[in-house]
Amino acid sequence: MVFRKKINRQVSILIVIFFIFAILPVFFGNTPFIMHLLVFSLIWACLGTIWDLVFGYAGILTLGQLGFFTIGAYASAMLTTNLMVSPWVGIIFAGVVAGIVGVLLGIPCLRLKGAYVALITFAFHLVLPTLIHRGDIIKTGGTKGIFEIVPLKIGGYVFNQLYKVPWFYVFLGLTILVFFIIYKIINSSFGSAFVAIRDSEDFAKSLGINIYKTKLMVFGLTAALAGVVGAFYAHYVGYIGSKILNFDSFLFIWVIMAIGGVSRFPGVLIGSFIITVINELLRGFETYRLLILGALVIISIIFMPNGVMGGLNAIIDRIALLIKKGQKL
Amino acid sequence: MRYPIIILRKHFWDCKLYKVKGYFCKMLRQFLEVLVSGITLGSIYAVLALGLTIVYGVSKIFNLAYGSFFTWSAYLAWILTGGHFKLNYLIVIPLMIPILFFIGIGMDRVLIYPLRKRADWQTTTIFLTLGLALFLDTLAQIVFGPRVKSLPSIFPGSIEIHSFTISKNTIGIFCLSILLVILIELFLSKNRIGMAMRAVSQDQEGARIVGIPLDRLFSYAFGFSIVLVGVTSVFVSSFYNISPSGGWNPFIKAFVVVAFGGLGSTKGALYSAFILGILEAMVAWLIGGVWIMPFWFIVLLILLIVRPYGLIGKWG
Repeated sequence: MVFRKKINRQVSILIVIFFIFAILPVFFGNTPFIMHLLVFSLIWACLGTIWDLVFGYAGILTLGQLGFFTIGAYASAMLTTNLMVSPWVGIIFAGVVAGIVGVLLGIPCLRLKGAYVALITFAFHLVLPTLIHRGDIIKTGGTKGIFEIVPLKIGGYVFNQLYKVPWFYVFLGLTILVFFIIYKIINSSFGSAFVAIRDSEDFAKSLGINIYKTKLMVFGLTAALAGVVGAFYAHYVGYIGSKILNFDSFLFIWVIMAIGGVSRFPGVLIGSFIITVINELLRGFETYRLLILGALVIISIIFMPNGVMGGLNAIIDRIALLIKKGQKL
Repeated sequence: MRYPIIILRKHFWDCKLYKVKGYFCKMLRQFLEVLVSGITLGSIYAVLALGLTIVYGVSKIFNLAYGSFFTWSAYLAWILTGGHFKLNYLIVIPLMIPILFFIGIGMDRVLIYPLRKRADWQTTTIFLTLGLALFLDTLAQIVFGPRVKSLPSIFPGSIEIHSFTISKNTIGIFCLSILLVILIELFLSKNRIGMAMRAVSQDQEGARIVGIPLDRLFSYAFGFSIVLVGVTSVFVSSFYNISPSGGWNPFIKAFVVVAFGGLGSTKGALYSAFILGILEAMVAWLIGGVWIMPFWFIVLLILLIVRPYGLIGKWG
């Protein structure tokens, strides 16, 4: 019962947030810079939520989301640049490729303890730039990256870099889709299965849940989703290089997760928005920016284990309690 | 008239044999050089891996910031041996040991200790150490700049055996590392604190029952591992260079070595350090230096598929 109440609350908060996002272009549509920021915060929010699904809800500590994101971006970029197919095909292709890589990566490491998965996915993340640089045979662009990736087309309309508002709506749509998928997963029996695994593996096993298969499916699914987001990113920016795997972006997602709150569903969206804004405000400080972000991670882990959403939840709980008390009197 | 031909022919055969012999000698010499560097790498990895495996065995946490401590120790040594201080290595290394130890204890008490009380401390600690690692890396980049730095050789000069040169640095570092390994083994078996660490890594509850102060021991183990990583980084940095994010490679290698030998097992770490060190040198020689990191990654994958418990097979 309480679970259901919490879900409804989450959904209503989400709907409010999405509504606010949807009408933002009315105010800021003429400032491409702010639109660009919003798009980026949506991308990070998607990635953060995907990570939240696999880590917060399924309990698998992977550090590979950026890696799958990059694989998806590269897959779509390479396909559309070399074979001249529509970007939408490329995006689907990217999802499939990323999902396959995810399953391949998951097969050996999901059988083991949590820390192992973290380290392997991290090693994967570190090895990926080397593989990309060496992979020029299949036209990964080596160290230079792939330029002039085809932008999206719907019907006759070609998206371009200058007018960002359609891009924003595309990404908003993507975010809503991703959130919807994740929401559906969490609330299905599949979702309960991996929450059960996270909380108590032995008990889940006794209920007949096939731990290995479930973990593998979650892993592959989140990899595929990350790949799709990556493909959209590639077509938006028009360029993909191995620089995306730098610690810059990695730290970013880390901070969003830490501040947005692990396993607090819409928290990542708010967190990503806050962090993107803070990131831009901090740009004046140059390298100190990363430092402050890193310090934020450490501080928020120690002092705010449930993130912003946890705080919001607490506040809403407090208010609800007050209202109830008022009603009783 | 026949004599010149016979002489020529004789010389001809001699020439060919000499060429083959020369080629063979060159290969042999290269192979020996690779073997030497492999063994030296192995000894360094042994110390690195021991640091990681002891911390894991005692407090069951993965110190993802190991690499960043590696980098910072190298920078600390750089400050002490150059610029203002210009101290000799004989002073620097013994000076760094207590500094690193106290830094390690401090980190454990301030950052990790409050997290231990939580139910999900293992994942939260990983989270935290990763954040710490990125923070330290960025700090290093700000303070020291992105350009690489280098340390002077600890033992300058080289020795020649039969036209086969080894730098004295390599031999010296190898000897020092082996010495360290022996000291660590002695510490773990004879010293009270060392024995307490072994007890905690075998059975935490039992150790607590016997009265071993767990929290203090966790701090000691952490400080100990920082000392090890620091000393190793001084060794390594005397022939490679120092860069802000250069600590990740040693960390991954140390982790693979530890996993290969079995988490929490010191003997396994030793064996696998040398095996993998020599293998790495071979790979660098035969295929190319760029494939070193993918090599380690592939080793890890193969290990996990074939025998995830590692050589010695203790989960720890």
